[in-house]
Amino acid sequence: MSNENFRRELNRAFDGMAGQPSPTLSGRIRSAIARPTAARSYYWIAAAAACVIAALIVGVLFVANPLHRPTSNVGVPLPSPSASPSASPSPSPSPSPSPSPSASPTPSTAAFQCATTYGPVTQSGPVTAYVSNVATGAHAGYDRITITFGNGAPTSVEVQTQNNATFTKDPSGQSVTLAGDHGLLVTIRGADAHTTYSGSTDFKTGYTKLLEAQQVQDYEGVVQWGIGLSGSTCYRVYLLKGPDRVVIDAQTGT
Amino acid sequence: MSAAVMEQPAQTLARAAQGDQDSFSELIEPLLDPAYRLAAVMLADRGAAEDAVQEASVKAWRKLRQLRGDATSLRPWFLSIVANECRMARRTRWWSVIKVADVDAQDRAQPESYSDLHRALLRLSPDDRLPLVLHFYLDLPLDEVARALRVSPSAAKSRIYRSAKRLRADLTMDEVF
Repeated sequence: MSNENFRRELNRAFDGMAGQPSPTLSGRIRSAIARPTAARSYYWIAAAAACVIAALIVGVLFVANPLHRPTSNVGVPLPSPSASPSASPSPSPSPSPSPSPSASPTPSTAAFQCATTYGPVTQSGPVTAYVSNVATGAHAGYDRITITFGNGAPTSVEVQTQNNATFTKDPSGQSVTLAGDHGLLVTIRGADAHTTYSGSTDFKTGYTKLLEAQQVQDYEGVVQWGIGLSGSTCYRVYLLKGPDRVVIDAQTGT
Repeated sequence: MSAAVMEQPAQTLARAAQGDQDSFSELIEPLLDPAYRLAAVMLADRGAAEDAVQEASVKAWRKLRQLRGDATSLRPWFLSIVANECRMARRTRWWSVIKVADVDAQDRAQPESYSDLHRALLRLSPDDRLPLVLHFYLDLPLDEVARALRVSPSAAKSRIYRSAKRLRADLTMDEVF
């Protein structure tokens, strides 16, 4: 078979396989070419929407932090007006032991609040909850004081901020100025700190924010602790179980 | 031929590369018929061939900036995209199964209308049909066949001859080229 014969026969076979393209093919291709531009814009919108949704989900998870949420936290920030401590003369410094280790593991992810008062938050408990331990600790982002009770929770907890570190001791009426220039007054009702607690009542910590914590009242079922701070700060309060304890974190870096 | 006429495809190509759809259509439309014939022979299915050409056209439009060379490179470049699209279409399992069945059914349905050469052609793999289509059916010069196959001209020549020999064992090189 010659080259021409082979080519002719081959092309006839190819023609039989291929036939003619549809007359609409050109139009189909024109529309297909025009389509991707519009489609791509939808992809961008969809991608942007997906990014926003993903960011929202991440944000919600970050704020809610469900894997680390404290399950025993019975307290919530409930700012309420209450009397502020008054300053009075005659300071009464007291010896202070070295800071004790930080409190037992507790959640540390609740938002800090900057309100002037916390509580009073009430809870059920014995007639008098006995303070069994007080401890301070420095942590990343906050300094902490933990007051632990041995026989149940106190009936109410209240925290007040103040623009100085001077507190009034009760029932003596003497004022005491702690280290720092701002303070938190922690008032715990339905508690006493002398039945079972024999530890320090004055912690000079040397931390960056919580400089000093001193018990300023232990009288008629009311225990107060003054906390000297370096500068104003935001704080958070946990009322935790197992054991019952009040945890106060002063935010650092503010 | 004047320089102005010679420059026209290059300018059209430049406009198309900048996103002008009309310029791209102007360039691609003369290539649709050979592209369709290539796809139809490779896939042995006319509807699928049109789909492959359409998909290849969209890909060519998206990747036009990747085209190397002048406007004369467009045809082998586009045909190589079409061939690749046909390979991808055949790689899909369900598609391949249907295609084999279709070819067999066609072969059985019209045995008298098919020449021995036609039957032999159907028995070739699509990749073996490709150099024959480019060289004999589309009548491309050897260098364009090579660019469409993305091989050297000597390798393209070898592939054409090898495929042709599978159709007719007694073919000589002179009868093929």
